[in-house]
Amino acid sequence: MKCARCLEDTAAKVADAPDGSGAWEIYLCSRCNYSWRTTEEEEVINPEKRDPYFTLDGVDMDDLMVLVPVPPLKK
Amino acid sequence: MGCMPACKFKPLNNKRKNQGVNNLYRDLREFLAKLEEEGQLVRYTDEILPEPDVRHICRASGDMPNGPAVLMNNIKGYKGKRLVVNVHGSWANHALSFGMDKDTSPKEQFHELCNRWDNYPGEVKFVDNAPCQEVVIKDDINLFDLLPLYRINPYDGGYYFGKGNVISQDPDEPDNLDKENVGIYRMQVQGKDIIGMQALAFHDISIQLAKVEAENKPLPVAIALGVDPVLSFIASTPIYYDQSEYKFAAALNGIPQELTKAVTSNINVPAGAEFVLEGEIIPRQRFPEGPFGEFPGSYSGIRKQVRIKVKAITHRKDPIFENLYIGRPWTEADFLLGLNTCVPLYRQLKETMPEVEAVNALYQHGLTAIIATGNRFGGYAKSVAMRVASTPHGISYCKNIILVDDDVDPFDLMQVMWALSTRVRADKDVIVIPHTPGMPLDPASEPPGMGNKLIIDATSPAPPDSVMREVRMVDRMPQALEVEKIIAELQKSAGK
Ligand SMILES: [Zn+2]
Repeated sequence: MKCARCLEDTAAKVADAPDGSGAWEIYLCSRCNYSWRTTEEEEVINPEKRDPYFTLDGVDMDDLMVLVPVPPLKK
Repeated sequence: MGCMPACKFKPLNNKRKNQGVNNLYRDLREFLAKLEEEGQLVRYTDEILPEPDVRHICRASGDMPNGPAVLMNNIKGYKGKRLVVNVHGSWANHALSFGMDKDTSPKEQFHELCNRWDNYPGEVKFVDNAPCQEVVIKDDINLFDLLPLYRINPYDGGYYFGKGNVISQDPDEPDNLDKENVGIYRMQVQGKDIIGMQALAFHDISIQLAKVEAENKPLPVAIALGVDPVLSFIASTPIYYDQSEYKFAAALNGIPQELTKAVTSNINVPAGAEFVLEGEIIPRQRFPEGPFGEFPGSYSGIRKQVRIKVKAITHRKDPIFENLYIGRPWTEADFLLGLNTCVPLYRQLKETMPEVEAVNALYQHGLTAIIATGNRFGGYAKSVAMRVASTPHGISYCKNIILVDDDVDPFDLMQVMWALSTRVRADKDVIVIPHTPGMPLDPASEPPGMGNKLIIDATSPAPPDSVMREVRMVDRMPQALEVEKIIAELQKSAGK
């Protein structure tokens, strides 16, 4: 499944509506961690309608800033 | 709005008479019952979608004057699951959480809290068969179907907890309750049993994490969702590392904080929590997290942050998921982070500068702070500004610092504007200190983490400063306070 944000083929279903109503499904991207529900607004879940500022097309996850650095290992 | 559902949490029968420090709430449910009794909680029972309806309900309730908490139980796909928002989302609710009357002004709440601060430490009490462990789940954990999740703001990277209390211990002293930390950090559900968390370098949990990461060990944590309102308040207060949030909540509440041991670790969790998610921070790895609509009213970036692996979930029967709205101010987050920013700053200033009368740092976690102070001698107020700019919280946060005389109420912006209008000599009283620390989430902090300090001294000059043209102030009129009551009574019967 294509991720609605990073556009890679790295998303999969993680949940159906728990009340059994079939009202929606939730998908999650294992690469950028984006998650979305099938009933959300088009500008949120449709890559063609998403504000390009909030897409991650072509961004390497390794290039993201680390806020709290990993300390050196104690020997 | 639709029909009322069967009452799922019952108001307490043992209504206590006194308003005050001994009349507070052991858990979220007791407080919700009080809010409902006071007309400060409504039940939204029409069917709604998780997105965008919950977002609109959050925005509306927080924007309304004295907006109520909203309890929802009919979210499409989550039928039967309960969600409450805006619990702290008005000054009325904030006052009620501390047992004050709902019309208590922010300034009166500030002074009452300053007084109660001296009650630290309060007591903790361990209980067996804690309500938060009525249901224990260890297998097939799926956060996406256990909790009624929703996207808080449209471009958030996922479904967030905005009001989760994260509990962790000092790895060197796991049994030292004073060093057990309870903090509210933003958390993104990133898998069926995975949660991403933003811990910044200056947060207490980062001290604990650094110790275990150096040894490549996980840090056990518990996330309590839906706790008594005073514990959420103190979990988002900048107190010292070796001060216990549990004992602080007890001090402000006037009743012992009830705790129980987590089912998978040594962590002490609030016995009355609605949900407790137990797990550990995965060591030495960082994962993409964000964006998230943050307290300055703008989205944060996407950064690599820590992850929690959830190993067990415990909850009360028919649990209530509590969350808050945060985004373009004012929101519930501004109410929650308002007075708990003011009080520690005031206490720290007062230690060495007794002339300080009050601190209003309600604005975006203290990015702007207004301080009322006596001007002991010429220029003294500017020293107060430099003092607040060097408190632990003020170093990164307090960037616009306004000083007013001690007879000006810093919580009354009309009085503050009067002081600015009539007492500021721009050539002497406006100072910018460039290139100081800044708050990285502030969009004006450039590069993120750097900033400036703006000091506006709107106090009256004192000798040896040259005193302005000699003027006489029009005196206050204390007699008018009595007359206000008479006119208020007349107004009540007017127009009937
Ligand atoms: Zn993705």
